[in-house]
Amino acid sequence: MSKNMKRTIQLIFVVTIMINNLFAKDYYIYCTAESEDEVALIRFDGKVAHVEKRIPVGVWPVEIEGPHGISVSPDGDYWYLSMAHGMPYGHLYKYETGTDKMVDRVELGLFPATMGISNATGLLYIVNFNLHGGHSEVSDVSIVDPDEMIEIERVETGIMPHGSRLLNNGLKHYSVAMMSGELYEIDAMTMELKRTLSTSPMKKMNKHSGHNMKGMNHSKMKMNSMSHNMPAEKPTWVYPHPNDNFLYVVNNGTDNVVEIDVNKWEITRTFKTDKGPYNCEVSQDGKYLVVTYKSAAKTGVWDLATGKELAKFKNTRKVTHGVVISPDSRYAFVSVEGIGKEPGAVEIFDLKKLKAVTIAEIGKQAGGIAFWKMDN
Amino acid sequence: MKKFFLTIYLLLFSFVYTQETIENKFEFVFEPDSLFLRVGETGSVTIKLVNSNGELANNPFYIYGRPRRSLESSPRISDSTGIATVSIKPYKPGKLTLSVRSISQKREDRVYGGMTVQVPFPPLERIVFDNPQKKLYLGTSLQYKTTVFDQANLLRDDAKVELSTSNNSIAEFDNYGNLKAKKAGKVKVVATAENISESFEINIVKNPVRKISLETEKNIIRTGDVLQFSAKTLDRSGRHIKDIPIVYSYNGKAEYGIGLPAAALINSSGKFVAETPGVFTITAQSGGFSARKTIKVTPRNVKKRVRVVGHGTVSDVNTSDLWVWPGVGKHKGKDFAATGTWGANGEAYFWDVTDPSKMAIIDTITVDARTVNDVKVSEDGRVAVITREGASNRKNGFVVLDITDPFNVKITAEFNDDMTGGVHNVFIYDNHVYAVNNGRKYDIINIEDPYNPFRVGRYELDTPGHGVHDVWIEDGIAYSSNWADGVHAVDVGGIKFNEKNRSKIKYNPLLAMAGQGSPGNPVKLAGMADPNGHNHAAFPFISQSTDKFYIIAGDEWGNQFGMAGGFHFLDFTDPKNPKESAVYQVPEAGSHNHWVHGDTLLASYYQGGLRVVDISGELMGDIYSQGREIAFFLSSDPDGFMANRPNVWGTMPYKGLIYFSDMNNGLWAIKLEDDNRFGTN
Repeated sequence: MSKNMKRTIQLIFVVTIMINNLFAKDYYIYCTAESEDEVALIRFDGKVAHVEKRIPVGVWPVEIEGPHGISVSPDGDYWYLSMAHGMPYGHLYKYETGTDKMVDRVELGLFPATMGISNATGLLYIVNFNLHGGHSEVSDVSIVDPDEMIEIERVETGIMPHGSRLLNNGLKHYSVAMMSGELYEIDAMTMELKRTLSTSPMKKMNKHSGHNMKGMNHSKMKMNSMSHNMPAEKPTWVYPHPNDNFLYVVNNGTDNVVEIDVNKWEITRTFKTDKGPYNCEVSQDGKYLVVTYKSAAKTGVWDLATGKELAKFKNTRKVTHGVVISPDSRYAFVSVEGIGKEPGAVEIFDLKKLKAVTIAEIGKQAGGIAFWKMDN
Repeated sequence: MKKFFLTIYLLLFSFVYTQETIENKFEFVFEPDSLFLRVGETGSVTIKLVNSNGELANNPFYIYGRPRRSLESSPRISDSTGIATVSIKPYKPGKLTLSVRSISQKREDRVYGGMTVQVPFPPLERIVFDNPQKKLYLGTSLQYKTTVFDQANLLRDDAKVELSTSNNSIAEFDNYGNLKAKKAGKVKVVATAENISESFEINIVKNPVRKISLETEKNIIRTGDVLQFSAKTLDRSGRHIKDIPIVYSYNGKAEYGIGLPAAALINSSGKFVAETPGVFTITAQSGGFSARKTIKVTPRNVKKRVRVVGHGTVSDVNTSDLWVWPGVGKHKGKDFAATGTWGANGEAYFWDVTDPSKMAIIDTITVDARTVNDVKVSEDGRVAVITREGASNRKNGFVVLDITDPFNVKITAEFNDDMTGGVHNVFIYDNHVYAVNNGRKYDIINIEDPYNPFRVGRYELDTPGHGVHDVWIEDGIAYSSNWADGVHAVDVGGIKFNEKNRSKIKYNPLLAMAGQGSPGNPVKLAGMADPNGHNHAAFPFISQSTDKFYIIAGDEWGNQFGMAGGFHFLDFTDPKNPKESAVYQVPEAGSHNHWVHGDTLLASYYQGGLRVVDISGELMGDIYSQGREIAFFLSSDPDGFMANRPNVWGTMPYKGLIYFSDMNNGLWAIKLEDDNRFGTN
């Protein structure tokens, strides 16, 4: 090899690295560790996930308070954390991003869990899951002014409400209730419950579902083991499509995700999933639906155009929990709880290449997960 | 269509509004600017969001009442131009606020405002004198207290009551309600609050007292001993005047330092307790006469040395609670212990402690949990129960174990029904498990057949925001710890009081009240709230030396400096009128679980180690300062899960030793070095 050729190759190599570095992005994720009373800040550089910080949260050094849900404010200046256990009421905490210093907290209902912040109102809507209420107590959604950290209103929904997301326009809030089997729509502006819908595809099967009722194996459904007044669906999550026309509701009990037309207010498609789907998220480009399968310990990536599952990843440990997708629709970040003293994890999947990229190990029972920012 | 325009406004607003805020500062205008409404009345206010020129901002805003659920407001949102005519209706009295906040995406663009809605409390209706004493002796003082009720018959602590007399030259109040009798004669005592008043006439009579005597049974006591002083007021002929107020006080000089004053407490009935050794002079005063008595207070001298008999290090996880019991069947003659684990892998360890100097783990049970917070063993030593929190499927509960062979412990049953939020503490009593679960209640489960447990009862408070943390059962009475609701004593099958039973349990007055309750029908007998909201554990205590009955209520709380709290001695000798008489509180550490053995308190004190406290005799005041601490032991272990950092969780006396678990390093057995067994001093 001539000297010039060698220099040229070296130059190309250096320039390639420089270009790569120039366009390389850092993705920042916050993820809770519910049995560790910690929140981890993870930086993913496209190849490796770095646990930048493990932030201790809560006020009781010898009690597990259970950080569960997490959300970053739309401007990225603050992150909000629900702490499930109190005496007996849980709290919503407010932290400053970057410094991760606690700013304030407000007491809410029993076991506050998932939350969402409206792009329209700036208010925070958080479900009081009430894990302690058995299968009979109707609970509610707390509406909080996150600037002043005061609870403004509570809107009663169903039994064990979970999932809390808003349309991108911020005008409608959606949550489900596990033990009521219902989807709830709250007008974010008027703070009133407007519509409810059963999340059971069975009720609309003939008319709306893409699912073949005859082909279903009913013996494998969990109906037999259920109490007669407990819905089989046990919906755990709802996520809106970026176009605000559709919602995706995860039926944890019957292993499916249903697509709901917001305007028609009916189920339009049913995606039969692996065991125990729990959370889901739709990529911002509207192409992918990523579903966590809690019982199967897997993560599924669905093509929303075709309704087919493009890929299914086996997670590195049991109890797959939450998912957040980077705003560039490139990566899915999935929290996996683990069992017992096993560390929790955030597993990162490349949605473009449909392959697992890397893992960050964090505290026990990794749960709520939220995207903070992308840096070049 | 309306929503469509609202949406358009919102989407455009961010840009427009940002431009506006640069040039114009927005503000809210309320018309009227305040309201006065009674509970249930409806009022109206027009609210506008305007710029500095008074023009509408063309931006919607929110309207909400504060505090939450005190003020109904409708609508909750203005129209898109920034104007709303709001109908408001108060539900609670007080100074309420109608708050408003503009709607914008950017936080810095938001404008806040508010107006006061004054809602008067119901008019006051009556003032009641708590102690309407109508005769006072010249030269004496008496504190008068009142209670105020409004027309809704609600107690009104906020009402400012002024006390006065009709003639200040005869009797005059100071700022603290003390009426000083200055001259003989009749005078009216008047209590006034707002526009109501209450009065009665008192007679100030000539003070017949010519002498006051002061007696006590002892001249020398130890720190912490409660000594009763009896003052007697006598007239000229030596007759005892009984209804005259007497004021007790003390001064003293400590036997330490260089001329330091001594510390003590004397209450209004003449009970005295000293914290420091020294010479004390107690004074009784009445009507210008006084008597003094000097006594000596010596050190309590109860200190003992601690010898470590055995320690089993747990180095890979946090340890939680413990239990020690004698073996049965083929293991009769041996001794065993069980410990839980915290924030780990759902394990419970079983130890052979027959020779405590060689204590060793002989079996491990692993369940689906991250925390096995509590372990309890049945009285017959055959069954154990461990709690589960942090289960991977969130179906928490408790697990029943066959421990007849502690080298080969077997799971006989799991009980998870309606315990999703986790079982934090349990107690086994008379073939029933009392399982504190979901932080809200305790369920009572029959385990007569350890393979087939079934629920028979439940105890749950009905107070707003109630919780329960722990339960302890003795003689068929369940003592639960309920944070702000304090301790509850519940009849779950209280042993019938039998006059032939001459044991000390006859001094538990709750047993005399028991008889209606059972595991299937728990019946509350008594309780005492904790205004601090820290009640975490409770232990019944019949004082072996005084026969008084206490419930010792332990705190758990912390702040930015770490764990804190203490143990409160609630005198339940009269269960209908319980009173806190004493507290043991280590200032720099946090209280956790406790146990009473004889007249000795074993107190787990987290970072303050294990504390052994003499609680013999009458208990009054600050026990920590009275030299009652027999021993303390800081359980450091360089090989612990957290090295050299004591954090004592729970304790239990067993066969002359004190066993305790340390969250950071495992199981310990210690002995107090003394010829006498630890106990009553």
